[in-house]
Amino acid sequence: MATTKRKPPKTWSLLGDVKRRPSTYEVTAAKFNYHFRREPAPFEMDPAAPINLWYLANREGSPFNVEDWEGFRDPARMTYSDYVTVQHDRETYLDAVIDHHEAADSVTGLDPAWVEALTRIAVPLRFPLHILQMTALYVAQMAPSAYIINCSNFQAADEMRRVQRLAYLTKMLANAHGDAIAETATARSPWEEDAAWQPMRRMLEKMLAVYDWGQAFAVLDLVVKPTIDELVNVQLAALAERNGDDLLAQLLAEFHLDAQRSKDWTIALAQYALASDPALADTLREWVDEWIPAVDETAEAWAALLATAPNALPSGQVVEAAGRARAELLAACGL
Amino acid sequence: MPRLSRSEWYDLTRDMNWDLSYVSEDEAFPPVLSNSFGVPAHDWWVWDEPYKITYTEYVHNQAGKDAGVYSVNNVLNRSHIFDNLEPGWKAAVIAHYGAIAVAEYQAGIGEARMGRFGRAAAWRNMATFGTLDETRHGQLQTYIPYQALAKEPRLDWAHKAYHTNEWGIIAARHLFDDMFTANDAVSTAIQLTFTFETGFTNLQFLGMAADAMKAGDFDFGALIASIQTDEARHAQQGEPTIKVLVKAGKADVAQNLLDRMFWRAWKIFALLTGLSMDYYTPVENRTHSFKEFMEEFINKQFIDTFRDFGLEKPWYWDQLLNEMNWVHHAYHIGVYFWRPTVWWNPVAGVSPAEREWLEEKYPGWNESFGKYWDVMGDNVRNGHPELTLPETFPMVCNSCQVPVCTPAGYAAGYLDSPLPHILDFEGRRYTFCSEPCQWVFEQDPEQFKGHLSIIDRFLGGVIQPATIPGALEYMGLSPEECGVDGTDYAWAGPVIPAEKSA
Ligand SMILES: [Fe+2]
Ligand SMILES: [Fe+2]
Repeated sequence: MATTKRKPPKTWSLLGDVKRRPSTYEVTAAKFNYHFRREPAPFEMDPAAPINLWYLANREGSPFNVEDWEGFRDPARMTYSDYVTVQHDRETYLDAVIDHHEAADSVTGLDPAWVEALTRIAVPLRFPLHILQMTALYVAQMAPSAYIINCSNFQAADEMRRVQRLAYLTKMLANAHGDAIAETATARSPWEEDAAWQPMRRMLEKMLAVYDWGQAFAVLDLVVKPTIDELVNVQLAALAERNGDDLLAQLLAEFHLDAQRSKDWTIALAQYALASDPALADTLREWVDEWIPAVDETAEAWAALLATAPNALPSGQVVEAAGRARAELLAACGL
Repeated sequence: MPRLSRSEWYDLTRDMNWDLSYVSEDEAFPPVLSNSFGVPAHDWWVWDEPYKITYTEYVHNQAGKDAGVYSVNNVLNRSHIFDNLEPGWKAAVIAHYGAIAVAEYQAGIGEARMGRFGRAAAWRNMATFGTLDETRHGQLQTYIPYQALAKEPRLDWAHKAYHTNEWGIIAARHLFDDMFTANDAVSTAIQLTFTFETGFTNLQFLGMAADAMKAGDFDFGALIASIQTDEARHAQQGEPTIKVLVKAGKADVAQNLLDRMFWRAWKIFALLTGLSMDYYTPVENRTHSFKEFMEEFINKQFIDTFRDFGLEKPWYWDQLLNEMNWVHHAYHIGVYFWRPTVWWNPVAGVSPAEREWLEEKYPGWNESFGKYWDVMGDNVRNGHPELTLPETFPMVCNSCQVPVCTPAGYAAGYLDSPLPHILDFEGRRYTFCSEPCQWVFEQDPEQFKGHLSIIDRFLGGVIQPATIPGALEYMGLSPEECGVDGTDYAWAGPVIPAEKSA
């Protein structure tokens, strides 16, 4: 039998002569993205095929590039298996949270004025949060290495998780307080029409049209998502607590763990890029600055919406907190 | 467990369809990444996945499935099972990992494309799961061969293959890039999930899972059976996409996308699965012939599936049925003969018992393909195995990127002419193995026309030096990686001592 007789390899040959034995996380991600900077074009098609040109312009041609993206690591070092295992536990926990509130029938006991506020504030959220999911998948499909792709894919899945739990909550509210709460129009009409939602919708629709991969990363992960995460996961949670809505507050606190994981890899990626090329700070900063007016406007409109709820938070706190969350993230990135 | 059943709230997880106000539809869904084929935005909103699942269900199911596959691997790893596999099965498994592992990970990019550019929220959610699934498949199918890398260095190709220009990988990349990495979201739903996953991965995965169990490779069997359960779920994105197109009067669009990818997938499956099923899998473990599998899964089950949606079988059906008799036999001879150009060790699979099986499954095999093996067997028995090795390269099809085998099809009585199909287009001459391959090219020349096949590169000076060793180096095959006969010529019988044969 022609068994190949060679010195047993230490690891994948493409990883070179490694000093340390690569981890499972590394051997299932390193150099998976074979088409990045491939010659003569990313894909095995006509080098001038439209989609080759798209990638050449928006990925290889992005100002946000370093010599070697393969050195970046997700601080959480998550494989697929890690991700579903961790989230399996977290979802088990959320199931228990919901069990508890269903047993106590706590949604029925909510103050009708708060329910009315939730209908205007929390119910339409599945639209903007879905756009965060979409954009994370854009960043993923354009990112130069599998290490980055995986982070952004898991982030997209986290956004879907948040949308789905809010959908469940919406149905609970509808069962207790009227079917209309669960009608699509109850969410879509304000999203499409109410003045309070338009700054956010404008910002997110425009974000959908950002196609440079680095810019899409910067706009989503450095500006838009951290702002929305603060407004939703933290500020809305605080408001829920003031209104005795522990269920919503607990759900949002859970989503904030996901958001923290996203922040961790975002900071790590920015730091990695800046360490490779300090001039990229200007590139990122320029993109960030361009979007700050839109997020500020969004935060103000959202704060005004929160102010219409009973037991409203002190005015100014919401906008300030959103600004602070963003500034902290940018500072951590070295921007 | 939360009290509300999935059906009570599921619609609220997927009704996030709205009218854009601040950017145009083309700005948010550029045609190069999301071709609507003229179907109005609202008509996509009825997109309804047949298989429903929530995020919670997904992570619960998948965590359990992964724990299962990884634990099987850990047990088997200690038992050194890879050492005990038959050489033919090893060839099949090593070929599979090289061609499939990283490609599956890349299918995640196609899923992410649908997750971003799919034209309904329900679809984007299903594609988000699909993205995760393909991440899983890429990682599992590299992790498992990695565990056996020290025992079998050829498993390096599970990771390395897509970075090379090995000819089979060029063909696979050309197929898969066209199918998902370099495709728009709507076409991807029909070409990746419907045509390829619903149609063909059944063949590869169910067929090989059954054969793996019989060959005693429980590791591989458990792995691909588990993968197939994910494929069966996310493959269902094609069906609602077809329904939307058909309802909008665009059945011709869906039919065209299907026909193009069906043929392309057939060619690569004949190469990969055809050889595995009819030559590499030990004969006593074979459940079906490749042709029988095609007839059962593709020709019966899959046709019924698309007939249900008002689509018809592709126009080239007779040519497909014709090729099912011979093309993979020709490929097998080619791969064996040009074995230094592949990363696995091909086995001939033509011992007397195997020839009997082939003759039974493909009446006339001995008289047609068997003759080539008679000559190669004589050369081996006469002590001249080097005569079973190549000195030149064959022509390669500018569509499927697989060597043109029309002379073998002609010699076996299945074709009227041994000549390839030729197209002169915008000042360049293209060669095709078959009429459907030429037709595929002509459907979208912008995608293909500037591409160089490996032979174009060889003749055009891209490959230097233009010799066999130069080409092998270009293909990423070091001398020790080049494939050799997987059984050390045991199939040919004992070498005749020199004095007697002289
Ligand atoms: Fe897959
Ligand atoms: Fe062809």
